[in-house]
Amino acid sequence: MKLSKRARRSVIPGFGLSFGIMIAILSLVVLIPLCSLVVYTAQLSPSNFFRTITQPRVLSSYYVSISTAFVASLINAGMGLVLAWVLVRYNFPGKRFIDGIIELPFALPTAVAGISLTHLTTTNGWVGQFFYEHFGLKIAYTRVGITVALVFIGIPFVVRSVQPVLEKLDQQYEEAAMILGASRGTIFRRVIFPEILPALISGFTLAFARSIGEYGSVVFIAGNTPYETEIAPLMIMAQLQEFDYASATSIALVMLAIAFIILSVNAFLQSRVSKRVSGLA
Amino acid sequence: MQLRKDIGVLKWVLIILCVVFLAVMLLLPLVYIVITALREGIGTYLAAITDTYARKAALLTIEATVWAVVINTLFGLCAAWCLTKFAFRGKKILSTFIDLPVTVSPIIAGLIYVLTFGRQSPLYPILDQAGIQIIFAVPGIVLATIFVTFPFISRELIPVLSAQGTDEEEAAALMGAGTFTIFRKVTLPHIKWALLYGVVLCTARAMGEFGAVSVLSGHLRGKTNTLPLYVELLYQGYDFTGAFAASSLLVIMAIIILVLRCWLEHKGDKANDIR
Amino acid sequence: MQENTSYVELRHINKHFGDFQASKDINFAIPKGRLVALLGPSGSGKTTILRMIAGLENPDSGEILIDGKVVNNIPGSERGIGFVFQNYALFRYMTVYDNIAFGLRVKKASKEEIDQRVRELLKLINCEGLEKRYPSQLSGGQRQRVAFARALAPNPQLLLLDEPFAAIDAKVRLELRTWLREMITQLHITSIFVTHDQDEAIEVADDIIVTNQGRVEQDGTPQELYSNPATSFVARFLGNSIPVKNYHEFQYFGAEGPDTEAILRPEFISIYKKGENVQFKKSAEEGVVQDIIFRGSSLEIRVLLHGNLLSAIRSINDPPVQIGETVDVFIHRLFIIDGDKITLADNQSLKRESVII
Repeated sequence: MKLSKRARRSVIPGFGLSFGIMIAILSLVVLIPLCSLVVYTAQLSPSNFFRTITQPRVLSSYYVSISTAFVASLINAGMGLVLAWVLVRYNFPGKRFIDGIIELPFALPTAVAGISLTHLTTTNGWVGQFFYEHFGLKIAYTRVGITVALVFIGIPFVVRSVQPVLEKLDQQYEEAAMILGASRGTIFRRVIFPEILPALISGFTLAFARSIGEYGSVVFIAGNTPYETEIAPLMIMAQLQEFDYASATSIALVMLAIAFIILSVNAFLQSRVSKRVSGLA
Repeated sequence: MQLRKDIGVLKWVLIILCVVFLAVMLLLPLVYIVITALREGIGTYLAAITDTYARKAALLTIEATVWAVVINTLFGLCAAWCLTKFAFRGKKILSTFIDLPVTVSPIIAGLIYVLTFGRQSPLYPILDQAGIQIIFAVPGIVLATIFVTFPFISRELIPVLSAQGTDEEEAAALMGAGTFTIFRKVTLPHIKWALLYGVVLCTARAMGEFGAVSVLSGHLRGKTNTLPLYVELLYQGYDFTGAFAASSLLVIMAIIILVLRCWLEHKGDKANDIR
Repeated sequence: MQENTSYVELRHINKHFGDFQASKDINFAIPKGRLVALLGPSGSGKTTILRMIAGLENPDSGEILIDGKVVNNIPGSERGIGFVFQNYALFRYMTVYDNIAFGLRVKKASKEEIDQRVRELLKLINCEGLEKRYPSQLSGGQRQRVAFARALAPNPQLLLLDEPFAAIDAKVRLELRTWLREMITQLHITSIFVTHDQDEAIEVADDIIVTNQGRVEQDGTPQELYSNPATSFVARFLGNSIPVKNYHEFQYFGAEGPDTEAILRPEFISIYKKGENVQFKKSAEEGVVQDIIFRGSSLEIRVLLHGNLLSAIRSINDPPVQIGETVDVFIHRLFIIDGDKITLADNQSLKRESVII
């Protein structure tokens, strides 16, 4: 009786079948398209590539994307932490409802959120009017508007990263610190915060990475003024509509590199923290 | 417990901060859509959502969503089974590729499909001869939808299966059970709720996808317009009531999904207690 | 263990997991109908051996024979074995009845046949009336017995148990040990179980195979291993062994070599109160009681002798000793370890007395 080496390795059957289906779908959906990106990239001329990505309009779109995404993710990190804290530590009427709607930005199509936020924040919209008349602040069609849209889509990331960690956090640490005479602020800063920091960072980077690439909710509220409120994904879209695939790919490659750097920094920070906790540093 | 009783003032300040934040950021946009959609009366609203193009857009959205759910379920089950029940080289790389699609901007997702199947691609002549059009047609929309929701189901299943271990499957295999018996009788009961949960998440994202679909759609009214694209079209044409009416359909779907999600989470927690 | 009657045999088995060698040239044979323990510390490779016999792992080289046939290329499900997993691996979403019936259903047995067999096994394991329960609703002992019944349902010729008592509380464990031994003897099924607990192995098994660092150190009956350990590892691992470096300072024991060491067990040592009138009084040495530990049926006395803290057992019926009391300590014998060689040395005064008599 001859059995293939793979099948012999495990008594559980079905490796070949499931592996085959997995690789087939993965290839069609992810690997082949990715390969074509690589192949196409190899055909780009370096000088064209650099000329495209250093156009002032493109550079400013990167700047707009990164800066608004960063500010929005910072706001989300702060609010996400507060939300997670409130949802885990306090009991109050309507808590379940709040817990449920946190996920709304995942469930609501981004384009729908985009047009609604835009209408609300124009200078004569319900919210926009208030801010314009009292603070002279324009929201829609400015970078502030882009940030608002990115805050909207980023809310669930930080909350859902921090919440489970906070739930699992052993109350004994806090009790120990309290018995040792630490104040409430000290307990939070020295005992709780270090425990949830890795989750907070990871939620922040996920929201950041997602925000940089976000398109649907932003195009409506941004106004898309060149050099002012034009985001990088929109630049790619514009090149695609002119069938200039070379420029579109060049701009996309830089964005992929940025996303890759963000995720790598996160992975590095996570491994450093986990090393410190497990004592392997 | 002493610690649970936080200083009353701080507690309520934080709660009110959260409630105001969520009310303005999340609920207000939702309410606004419904109000605007109904502003010109229920008759106008019904006319807007029963419009032929709206109906066709809704059907296309459903079609793409069903495809994404079916393909990603099949993929998710196979990938989760493979990655958790067997030891082989290259697992990490596979996991990275599986998670890759959600970290890529939807616009870039659309772009790579254009590069793969578009006119300048080496595949184009072959596909053209076979009469298959992918870009600016329904298959492109379906592919883009599958791509942006790709890891949604496998990501729900993998943690459950890896926590469950391989003992039960080994026990069943030692007694001579075949692949499908083991899967149906032993593995499936463990992942039932996680699978449904994944399907719900996948549905939510699939029906709302805008960027990637926007790149690949030819924006042909009634042909390659999904519901979110149709909303954009109406909005750009200053038909705000129509846009918000069509949006309200998606809002209803989103609310259904949120309710389902909560219910499934509750069910899943209960199933966890059995273990 | 006679080779021609052996039911399970391993020949020159080697197994690596990456860089780690889990099995190094394993050879042993198990006769039909015996209940055998694979005993060793954790990481000694005992579970790997069991999983290879079951077909859950494959050896890198060597042969596994069951009933005279090489089974290396036969899948586990066709080897005629029953396997009880360490955490039982009961199907959590099936009732007790469905768990036990699973193996028979897979083999497409008839409904009546399945029902009859399951009822029979439920009776055997004393779990009648629990058939509708789910594993989570059972106690640890019940789970173990259901796992046992599930493994037995398809009438295997060989039963393999991986740490069968590890997940059970101490009290139930003792009951289950006796129960399992009776069951297996009654069914007369060749059985191999893995354990790291020497008491468990000695109490339950007919034969014990001691493993250490991927090797088989020794196999034999519990008595053989206990009284004639073949390697220093076995001597140290079994019993409550205490190593002694300066054993040549003890009276009536000579030094055997420069780098030798002795191993003493409590049963090698007798302790007498001063003035107690006993046989070996003259050749006893004086020691001081350091600690007395109540062991239920006996007392363990810790006594200091030539700088070594030794343990001895004393009956609770004997006159009590106190901490700090000077007592007479008589050492009957000890194991002397010289590298890999191990010899049993008797107290020389015993020889002299026998010569005189």
